[in-house]
Amino acid sequence: MTDADLQAEVEAWLAANWRGAPPREESFGRDPRAEWLAQVRDAGWAVPRWPRDWYGRELSAEQAKIVERAFAAAGAPGAGQDRSNLWANTALAHATDSFKRVIVPQLLAGEVGMCLLYSEPGAGSDLAAIRTRAEKVEGGWRVTGQKIWTSGAVIADYGMLIARTDWDVPKHRGISFFFLPMRQEGVEVRPLRQITDESHFNEVFITDAFVPDENLLGPLNGGWGVLQTALAYERSVMGDMARGARSGAAGAKGDHAMLELAREAGKLDDPVVRQDVAQVIAWRVLNKLNTQRAKAELAQGTSSSIMSLGKLAMSRILHEEGRLRTELLGPESLLEGPDHPRAEDANFLSLNAYFTSIGGGTDQIQRNIIGERVLGLPKEPEIDRTIPFREVRAG
Amino acid sequence: MTDATMNQEERTALRDTVRRLFADQCTESDVRRIMESDSGHDPALWRSLAELGIAGLLVAAGTGGSQLSAVELKLVMEEAGAALAPVPLISTAMASVLLDGELAEALAAGRTIAAVALLGALDWTGGSNVRIEGGRAQGTARFVPDAGIADIFLLASDEGVHLVERASAGITPLPTFDRTRRMADVRFDGAATRIGDGAAARRARDIGLVALAGEQTGGARRIFDITVDYARERHQFGRAIGSFQAIKHMAADLLLEAESATSAARDAARQVAEGAVGKDAAVALAAFACADAFLRCAKDGIQMHGGIAFTWDHPAHLYLRRARSGVQLFGDSRVWRDRYVAALDAMQREMAA
Repeated sequence: MTDADLQAEVEAWLAANWRGAPPREESFGRDPRAEWLAQVRDAGWAVPRWPRDWYGRELSAEQAKIVERAFAAAGAPGAGQDRSNLWANTALAHATDSFKRVIVPQLLAGEVGMCLLYSEPGAGSDLAAIRTRAEKVEGGWRVTGQKIWTSGAVIADYGMLIARTDWDVPKHRGISFFFLPMRQEGVEVRPLRQITDESHFNEVFITDAFVPDENLLGPLNGGWGVLQTALAYERSVMGDMARGARSGAAGAKGDHAMLELAREAGKLDDPVVRQDVAQVIAWRVLNKLNTQRAKAELAQGTSSSIMSLGKLAMSRILHEEGRLRTELLGPESLLEGPDHPRAEDANFLSLNAYFTSIGGGTDQIQRNIIGERVLGLPKEPEIDRTIPFREVRAG
Repeated sequence: MTDATMNQEERTALRDTVRRLFADQCTESDVRRIMESDSGHDPALWRSLAELGIAGLLVAAGTGGSQLSAVELKLVMEEAGAALAPVPLISTAMASVLLDGELAEALAAGRTIAAVALLGALDWTGGSNVRIEGGRAQGTARFVPDAGIADIFLLASDEGVHLVERASAGITPLPTFDRTRRMADVRFDGAATRIGDGAAARRARDIGLVALAGEQTGGARRIFDITVDYARERHQFGRAIGSFQAIKHMAADLLLEAESATSAARDAARQVAEGAVGKDAAVALAAFACADAFLRCAKDGIQMHGGIAFTWDHPAHLYLRRARSGVQLFGDSRVWRDRYVAALDAMQREMAA
């Protein structure tokens, strides 16, 4: 099929079917546009890069872009899920055929809510140290443990779970990956109150919850490998989202917001404030220039080391912006509440900066990754890498 | 000035050519030899650069130049900065903006070397007191780069640009801490020919800043590479020191600085070449971002090496000296951060109006 034929086909299909749908509100729950998404899926536009047996059209990356662009031009959702749907991609790559037949169509239509059950109170940066256990029973597994930092757990139908299935091998080799049904006795979700006084995350307490055999993804005790592909999809989705956000509203005005604030505070002529304002704006602009350069290098096919620096750069920007906003306010920053929006902003941003500098890998872990994967520096010796997990010191 | 620009392939070829030249003719021992010389200048290397069209990089094709833009200048300066090349590239780039005709031709051919003294509001040293009245220049310009080897002097201020012959200039070479970047105090007493206005002077200063930003980026990158290579190879406590997070985390932070400098220098070069509206802000940003990045990479690079880099024979201190001298050429980072805010402020006001 030629590019022109494809474009004509997708545009004709959209013209015949797309009538507009309600906006999406919750990124983890059931999708209010499920009916439309099912139509997109059945027409083969949701995952055009995928095999024909699995709702796809086996299109090349370039041709799939044509489909995505046509959907974007019409303002219609649902295309490009072969890049953006973390859950469906993970399931397609690793689930058993019988489970795939059930779950993949539901995931593509947004008919099931999903959440991530990875981190635990005792396994944050050291994710392979999880202690949630899955024990073999008739027809499946019984799971017991505690998960944390779970978004969307309240409305989730399934959680992508990593649990320990063998305690007598080193930590990376005794982990398995499951789709855990969330709506059952034995799965209790409690909202987690953050330092910002918001609750975006939950703790999930799992007590003897059941997961059927067919919900195991990848080989038994091969969960670490499945997790790596899931994390890679997650990073690429996050990267797409971040790029989308940056090319949107923020722009130069967003970059230079601190200038506006300093002017409003009547402190733009204070030489010390000017130094701080310049440095904070500079970091933001430099980060944007770095990202543009990285994208250009990737487009040319040369690998770019700059992408991995963005999160570390953003941590510093957010923390320093919080500090500077607070300095500009002075004692007003003692206050909170709707009558003091500038104080609310300064205080919220100062605390929420940790969302970036801790979440998704702390700055310290990020520096390890840059040092090891970008600069080729050797890893620290890991004393627990080769001994049975049962013998690893915890706590 | 209409600048021909190169495509990506041609730029890569230019960079490779210059890189090879420096690898061949500007090794560390060459640099050290020139450091010990009276002039601090490498005439043989300068001849080779002139033959390649690098001395005349910005000079119009009609007067024997390569007629390229700030973008290519930055590219060449990255290589020169990495090699610590002891040649008057920055002065020559600035002079290219100010000269035409026979003088431009002599500049491009490498026959004439021009030193540029920034005066008035463009003078950051605060020590110059040159007055130009009735076609005569009188007074002293301080810390003039490449003055010792200059054949002509260009006095550039907001009031305009004047040319003074060497015969009317009394030169006192200075004992510079960075032996690869020589300077002199110059006492003028003689005829001064007006050759340009204040706008030309500011253009020359901007070109100087782009060149310096490129030099600093190249220097930062080279000392960073030297440091990370060493961290991979040097073993203590039975393991490569780069495996220790104390070292690894410093390296990650320096990579961010070096990459940011690369982006800042590139953006400033592009905006100056295009005469874009944001060029003042971009030049100011590059001025402090590249200076700070080079200084930090050079300083932390020595710390990460440990004792070996505290020795004269190790090249790390040559980069630190270069990083420290560059900061003093057009204004330090404090000055440029202040001007960055001023440029952004002016841009916002213009957009609002």
